[in-house]
Order: sequence, then C-alpha cells, then structure tokens
Amino acid sequence: MTDNTDPNDIDLLAAEYVLGTLDRIERANVAFRRARDPELDAAIQAWAARLAPLNDQIEPIAPSPLLKAKIAERIRAFETPAISPASVVDLQSRLARWRSAALGATALAACLAGFIVVREGFRPPVSATSYVAVLQKDAQSPAFLMTVDIDARTFTVRPVAAQRQVGKSYELWLINTRLGSPKSLGVVADQGYSVSAKLASYASGDIADATYAVTLEAEGGSPDGNPTGPVVYAGKLVQAKP
Amino acid sequence: MTTSAQDIVDLLARVSRKDVAAFDALYDTTSSKLYGIIFRILRRRDIADEVLQEVYVKIWERAADFDPGRASPITWMATIARNRALDEVRRRVPASIEDAPEALNVPSSDTQPLHALELSQDVARLNACLDKLDPQRKQLVVDAYLHGATREELSQRLGAPVATIKTWLHRSLAQLKACLTP
Repeated sequence: MTDNTDPNDIDLLAAEYVLGTLDRIERANVAFRRARDPELDAAIQAWAARLAPLNDQIEPIAPSPLLKAKIAERIRAFETPAISPASVVDLQSRLARWRSAALGATALAACLAGFIVVREGFRPPVSATSYVAVLQKDAQSPAFLMTVDIDARTFTVRPVAAQRQVGKSYELWLINTRLGSPKSLGVVADQGYSVSAKLASYASGDIADATYAVTLEAEGGSPDGNPTGPVVYAGKLVQAKP
Repeated sequence: MTTSAQDIVDLLARVSRKDVAAFDALYDTTSSKLYGIIFRILRRRDIADEVLQEVYVKIWERAADFDPGRASPITWMATIARNRALDEVRRRVPASIEDAPEALNVPSSDTQPLHALELSQDVARLNACLDKLDPQRKQLVVDAYLHGATREELSQRLGAPVATIKTWLHRSLAQLKACLTP
C-alpha cells in the first residue's frame, strides 16, 4: 500500500476498515497511518457512525456469568500494577531464600547468601507479564518473534523467516492510537536476538494493547524517526503463560 | 427498566472517574450487545470470552476518551468491540462460516433493554439507503459488517473474483455515503 493522498481513496480505505473487509496487513497499515493522518482518522470515525445502525441487527447474546468477575479481577490488577499477585509471590519466595541463607550466620554463609541474591537478580522473572507476538504477513508465514516483559519494560525480537534485504533494515514500531505517531523500537538485527529496553518510557497498558509492526527502511533505520516504508509484518501481544 | 443513551453517557462519565459501581451497571446494560457483536465475528465462545474481557478492560481504561459530542455511547463501545474482534479474527487462520454453522442461529437471550440506544431515525435512514442498493450488494455489505469477512472470504462465498468484490464494495459504499449525506 502506498501513502496515497487521493481523498476518495482515503475515504474508501476508511470505509472498508470500518466494514471489516481488509486483511491483516491492510488493517495494520490503516491503524499505522491513522495515528499520523487526521484526515484518515476523521474518515474512519465518520464511517463508524454511518454504519453503526447495523449493530441493531445483531442479536444480543448473554456472556458467561463467569466473565464479569474475571473482568473485575483484571481491572483491580490494572489499577495496582506495582503489587500484582505474581510479583508478590516472587518477592516472598526471594525473601524466604534470603532468610534461610542468613540463618547460616557465618562469613561463608553470608558470602553464599550474597551469591544467591546476585543469582536471583539474573533469574528471568516468571510472571503473568510475559507476552509474545508473532509478527507476520498472514497466518502461514511468521517472520519475527517478539517477547515482551511488561513489568521490566524490556523486549526481545528475532527473525524467524524474514528475508534479509540488501541495503535495507527492518525497523520495529509500537503503534497505539493513544500515543499518536508510531514509536520506533529500533532496527532489528539480521540474526539472533535483539534485546532492548526501549519500552521503558511507555505505560504497561499502552504496551499491552499496542500493535507491533515492522517496516522496511533504509539501512540503519528511518532517518527522521518516522516510518517511511510500508508495514511488511505486524502482530499483537498475547500472554505467554497462564 | 429501560436504559437510554443518556444513561450510558452518564455511566461512562462515572467510569472515567473510576467508579466501580457505575462500571458494574454499564457491564450489565451493554455486555450482551457487545458479546453478540464479538461472537458474530469470532464464532467461538472461548475466543469471544477472552476478547470481551479485553474490551471491557479497555472501556474502563479509556472511558475518559469518550466524547458524547462525537459519537453515541454504544457506537463508541461497539467500535472498540468490533476493532478488537476483527484484529483477533485476522490474527488467526481464516475460519469460514461453514466451520461453525451454528453461529448463524445462536439462541437469543435478550435480557438487556438496549434496543433503543441507536437513534431510531439513524437506523431508518441507513435501512432506506441500503434498500436502494441492488439486493445482492446490500447483502454483501451487511454480511461483511456483521461477520467481519475479508474480500477473499466474500469472493469464495459468492464465487466472484476478489477484484469484482472490491469493485462492488467500493461502489456500494460510495452509493451509501451519497445517500446518507444530507
């Protein structure tokens, strides 16, 4: 898809986005452009209003009664992210280890305790805040695998099947309409894992429901901090552990 | 008990101030409608259950973004539900309606007095404009909206090339817009 500015094209793109007939990549591209194109955003809102009366035709279906409590639980967790149950359990188990280590009360035991604490610090946190995203063109062709630790605000990304393009770089973006224009998360290394703390300045809610998209840029990444190429792969986060 | 659009606007305003009781009432009033929208697109209870939860968490987070001057409250909530459901269905291997034919005749369990939330004159106006389309095109537009089918899926279902589907959609949408624009 090109950045076509023909108003008629923008309007039909907005119409199909709202109608729901765009495929995965087209949808990601629209979500991507919308954040920096007020005209497209306005066209989408106008179409949402035009077609909304169709929702009247949809028969309501009562959701399972269990869902209400689950939502209430998620909201409580959302409002108190600093003391999520997982991190409390994690801290309690560390505290127990420190205490048992301290019981030795000899210099050796103290050294050993110090060692344990350092080792603990390197243990990857196992919590409900581990997420993965498969960035792909369609369901059959995953290109990048991304993991995110929302508590630590860190992520890794590695190519699975993306073809290296000579003289070009793949650049990863975070797209969330709440944050305005797409935010660069840096260039993805050609091989192995890229590890990054570039999520540090974003809120956990914005990280969790963002779309992650990969564009093809000039070697070394976009020169001005804004995407110049089209989205070639995209995906959303799913929780990696129950 | 009947619920008006203004009641929902008031509930959303309270939810934006993190009023849990208002959120509870908002869920009771709107969840069957949103679940219906989500289920029509996803056609699987387990996935729809997950998406409904995410949608309400998002409504809780973003209630302050709702602007009653720009959209009706149910349109705003339905848009969040539709977008999330469409993103989810596109993330998965394309499912066809033949995989889950029961999705088309789910039992109605309408316990929520939500019929009148879309302004009835808007519904009448859109229906009048849809009726001006060729009947097959009208069906195409309505099916696309309600089931979230891609052009490829519509093409397979109707046995017409994708390019033809796209042309039909674009013409029908342009015609609808012209008809709806005062």
